[in-house]
Amino acid sequence: MNSATEDTLTIPEHVPRELVCEFDIWDEISAAGVCAHQRAARFHDELPPIFYVPKLGYLPGAWVPQKTEDLRRILRDTQTFSSQSTMPFAAMLGEHWKLIPLELDPPEHTKYRALINGLLSPNKVTAIEAAIRQHAGDLIDTFAANKRCNFNQEFADKFPTLIFLRLMGWPETEAPRFVKWTHTLVKSQDMEEVVGAVAQIRNYLMQKIQDSRANPVDDFTGYLLNSEVDGQLLTDDELLGYCFLVFIGGLDTVASSLGFHFMHLALHPEHQADLRANPDKIPIAVEELLRAYSIVNMRRIVTCDVEIRGVQMKAGDIVLISTELGNTDPEVFDDPCEVNFDRGDGNAPHMAFSFGAHRCVGSHLARRELRIALELWLQKVPVFRLAEDCNPVMRAAGVFGMDELIFEWD
Amino acid sequence: MKVVIDRNACAGHARCHELAPELFVLDDDGYIATDGFSVTTEAEKLALRSARACPERAIAIASDDKTHGQEQ
Repeated sequence: MNSATEDTLTIPEHVPRELVCEFDIWDEISAAGVCAHQRAARFHDELPPIFYVPKLGYLPGAWVPQKTEDLRRILRDTQTFSSQSTMPFAAMLGEHWKLIPLELDPPEHTKYRALINGLLSPNKVTAIEAAIRQHAGDLIDTFAANKRCNFNQEFADKFPTLIFLRLMGWPETEAPRFVKWTHTLVKSQDMEEVVGAVAQIRNYLMQKIQDSRANPVDDFTGYLLNSEVDGQLLTDDELLGYCFLVFIGGLDTVASSLGFHFMHLALHPEHQADLRANPDKIPIAVEELLRAYSIVNMRRIVTCDVEIRGVQMKAGDIVLISTELGNTDPEVFDDPCEVNFDRGDGNAPHMAFSFGAHRCVGSHLARRELRIALELWLQKVPVFRLAEDCNPVMRAAGVFGMDELIFEWD
Repeated sequence: MKVVIDRNACAGHARCHELAPELFVLDDDGYIATDGFSVTTEAEKLALRSARACPERAIAIASDDKTHGQEQ
């Protein structure tokens, strides 16, 4: 992977100067703190519909399409905009496994994706709803009487991790190390530390796969061990690719979404009051919060020269799929920065879980977790606010996150 | 009124099913399990809302005599 400093000096020749964004968009968004998403939404007024950034954190330069329609077209055209080699983890270890099915393109993708769709379908999520509720309720009970909580540490990090371990069939006692790995993976700026965590996760998952081969049980890995693609059992690398993806997809994304959603409610007691009085609005509120506080930024690689909205992209170019920009497109959403639980479910659908073949396979589980967390918090905790000594830290990267959230209540 | 579904475009968001589970039946994988169906007058509004909620625009509404196709 090229270092960012090299790339700042090498904007490709086919990129017109007027389309180059001079500032680091992720630094700019991070600097806005609790107003990060409002800051990002202003890019729609300040920057061209498709602009170019010379670097993205430690990642190399990329095109940034802002319009929902362009993002939709790109996500659907998986031949021109490939998902292959868009994630850095295997390369960090000098290895060649892929995150499955994320780093595959159709038609290969379709076969591998089909194996796991049924594991995370709406019905399957409904079947474990009671357990999700139990985990959320138990966690909230540990701090409800304290009139204060460190939101990430005491709730948001633990909740999805416990559900994940349950789905994988692994013991709950593993939760602390999963939380620690996730933190290093998404928060550390120290490349050596990140590579260390990636290696540890890989070794752990590989061990689980070996254990499962030796003593087959009826869990996620056991199911995959018996699954075939094109009449062939899956290889260890393929099993690792699935497990690693479920790990990075299922833990940090829900934890980070919870952070933004609850931060919003802490800053907007009127919205808390609305949902406390009308709990049946919670599912729709979750959709609106997912839209207004989208966190996922993926990448695609251009496979052949293509023109989008008059912009020439060349084979090898990288395209950023920024869900927070697509979901604040003023042509699609009125007052996009406004969080409005009454937009109505017939309005334009958001793209927090992406569009097309790579639609987040965990979306049904994520929605249910977010909904239940909100329901139970509002039942068990009175009106909460940001603590006076709380200085939230916004972290814009592949997955946006909000750290140091401390809530208080009377 | 008829609902016409482009099953190839379904990506399994299941938003239609969330709004109208009786109308939009899913398969075991959570994808739409029907190519379309007729809608009673009472259910028309719900079917329209569900069609608009599809992120992939896979759901089209046709009147009983002729197809309008997808509005969007």
